[in-house]
Amino acid sequence: MNGFLALFAKEMREYFATPIAFVLLAVFWALAGWFFSFSLFFVNLAQMVGSFHNMSLLLLLVMPLLTMRIFAEENRNGTMELLMSLPLSELQIVLAKFAAAFVMLLIMLAGSASAVVPLVLFAQPDLGPILGGYIGITLLGAAFMGVGILVSSLTANQIVAALITWGVLTLFWFADYAASIDAVPMLRGLFLHLSFSVHYVDVIRGVINLGTVCYFASVLVMSLTLTVLVLKGRRA
Amino acid sequence: MTASVEFKNVRKSYGGHAVLRGVSFSVQRGEIVGLLGPNGCGKTTTLRLIAGFLAPDTGSVRVCGEDQGSDSIAARQHIGYLPERPPLYDALRVKDYLDFVAAAKGVPRATRKSAVAAAMHDYGLSHMATKVIATLSKGYRQRVGLAQATLADPEVLLLDEATNGLDALQIVEARALIRAGAAGRAVLFCSHLMQEVAALCDRVIVLHEGLPVELADPSPTPRFELRLGGIAIDVAKALLERLPDISQVEAHSEDAQVVLRCSGATAQAADAMARAMLPHAALLSLEALRPTLEDRFIAAMRREDRA
Repeated sequence: MNGFLALFAKEMREYFATPIAFVLLAVFWALAGWFFSFSLFFVNLAQMVGSFHNMSLLLLLVMPLLTMRIFAEENRNGTMELLMSLPLSELQIVLAKFAAAFVMLLIMLAGSASAVVPLVLFAQPDLGPILGGYIGITLLGAAFMGVGILVSSLTANQIVAALITWGVLTLFWFADYAASIDAVPMLRGLFLHLSFSVHYVDVIRGVINLGTVCYFASVLVMSLTLTVLVLKGRRA
Repeated sequence: MTASVEFKNVRKSYGGHAVLRGVSFSVQRGEIVGLLGPNGCGKTTTLRLIAGFLAPDTGSVRVCGEDQGSDSIAARQHIGYLPERPPLYDALRVKDYLDFVAAAKGVPRATRKSAVAAAMHDYGLSHMATKVIATLSKGYRQRVGLAQATLADPEVLLLDEATNGLDALQIVEARALIRAGAAGRAVLFCSHLMQEVAALCDRVIVLHEGLPVELADPSPTPRFELRLGGIAIDVAKALLERLPDISQVEAHSEDAQVVLRCSGATAQAADAMARAMLPHAALLSLEALRPTLEDRFIAAMRREDRA
């Protein structure tokens, strides 16, 4: 546990020792605020379905930037050699790095939640879907993060990590497009099931079922497990 | 007594290329052992295997009795490792970086602050504690690397090219720091710089194409050096060459002295040389030359290349 906490604390220090975290937070909050204001003042909707949809697209852009350095930077700077020779297990390393990135995601989303305050003050929004939306976007962000961490562990180049993560996430976001191709009707269900957007749309409509949670959780667990295996494989 | 490092018949390949081909050795506490060899001979791989960064294909690596294969985390608890490029997080301050390494090595929170302060004091970093690592000079980065390696008092210290890239003064300082840090530990010091190994190490392991080899004597016969005054270089050389059992005579002048180096086949060669020279020149010195580590290393590499 000590090793996990030590690495978690180091990761958090590193996030805030450089401007990257501040810039990412500022950009995310500014754009999330803009989308919310647009929905509220121009469309006159006292709800956040549109905001959650836009935030998911923001995460699609921001998560690769947040996760690109997690292992790629260690690989490039040679600090991976230190990490792997410290008395830490591969699982501890992966979980500590994920936990720190997840805290960053929570800070991002918590900042955007300030939008709920004027809604409550000046309207009577249904808080259920809003809460569901936040749970959904947290699950989506965590799943994105898992993919980003896995890709980052495979390269020493942060730009490459960000681009590949972005490509993979975009591919899975739009996987449901392939379901409409008549030539592959057998695979229709599979493409629909693989799509991030299909599951996410359910969540922001206020439908959080076990299947959706399992989908996002399985993407995360599978990505982190593969990352552990990548680190183990590096010793071999 | 359990060896601090036990490397037993270790083989390691990268993509079909055998880097280590059955290497065995052990290192005891209190020893500073140099790991020498040409580039690509497997020095860094050896250290990485002991550090647990890599696993052997076959064979076993034990650190303080703990097997790196079956209980790597327990083995790694005894290790302090400074890779060739100091593994530093540029964005962190020196004390935060050392605090992280100490915590990861399991130093309890109650004693961590003092352990970090002691490490910074030992390596002359106290006044740099709040400096961001990215702003440090190469010499100070090396100090931070050494400080992190010795945190938590590891029994085994692995240093890979620890004086690489430092200037002459920094090398002297680094040597002193390494010697101080080596007290009571088993140290494996890997370098391709002969003088560094000669200056620091009690014993040397030489690797050549993934196998350990014995150092060799460059010449099967003892070498001598004579310094003479009041004689011409040609005359001195001719006198020496005339003697039986003397061969490989080399001569040059240095500070108005004639310096002769030769091989003598017998123990009596030195007496014969002195007797031959005394009527003709002032014999300033006559000494048997001991082969340097560099001479013995080069001789070993030539022998292995011929084989």
